[in-house]
Amino acid sequence: MCLGLFTGSVDKLTAAGVILGGAAAMDMKVDIYVLMQGARAFKKDIGDDAGKLNMAENAALKEEFLQSLKNLKVKTWVEFFKEAKSITDVKIHICGLAGKIWGGEKLEDFIGIVDDIVGIGAYITSAQEADVNLFI
Amino acid sequence: MMSTEELVKITATKTVDARGTACPGPLLEAKKAIGTIKPGDIMEVLSSDEGTKADLPKWCAKQGHEYLGTIEISGYFRIFMRKH
Repeated sequence: MCLGLFTGSVDKLTAAGVILGGAAAMDMKVDIYVLMQGARAFKKDIGDDAGKLNMAENAALKEEFLQSLKNLKVKTWVEFFKEAKSITDVKIHICGLAGKIWGGEKLEDFIGIVDDIVGIGAYITSAQEADVNLFI
Repeated sequence: MMSTEELVKITATKTVDARGTACPGPLLEAKKAIGTIKPGDIMEVLSSDEGTKADLPKWCAKQGHEYLGTIEISGYFRIFMRKH
């Protein structure tokens, strides 16, 4: 599976996390290419801090969304990504330009689950070879 | 597929209690637990999540495990499978 992860919104990142969970349960190899706003969410000073992330849709529902997830004992998006990585081959690649936009030049500027910083050619090649392509 | 009468008689090698977790919790619990049993062993997953009873048969088909059936009890499901 190849996932283009453009979003930096907590609701869409959570959706991506749930999908990753399913892919992990099915032993799928997953390559995630983090683009634009997505790279901001993977910065060390952002990550699991939902207060620093917006909703993709209906910002007024953010508190209800986060509280509901907590009540349902649903993991945070970062925990979903971590769990998927612990089960199957999930690689998280940050687009070099996207990283620079948010002041992330090096791997250590991002949370520990990020594998490397790549160029767009890597995404296109991976998308060409993957059996499932998603863009979130 | 087994009948309810046959399913209730099964003593599973492994029982995974995923009640109280939402999707994809039960699926991930099943995935982790199946690695701990031997081929031919039976695993039972308990889930209170409505989606799980559709999810696990599809997961079994994809992973090559044999889906044996589901018993619906008030408030949760008992889902049986044999490891490939």
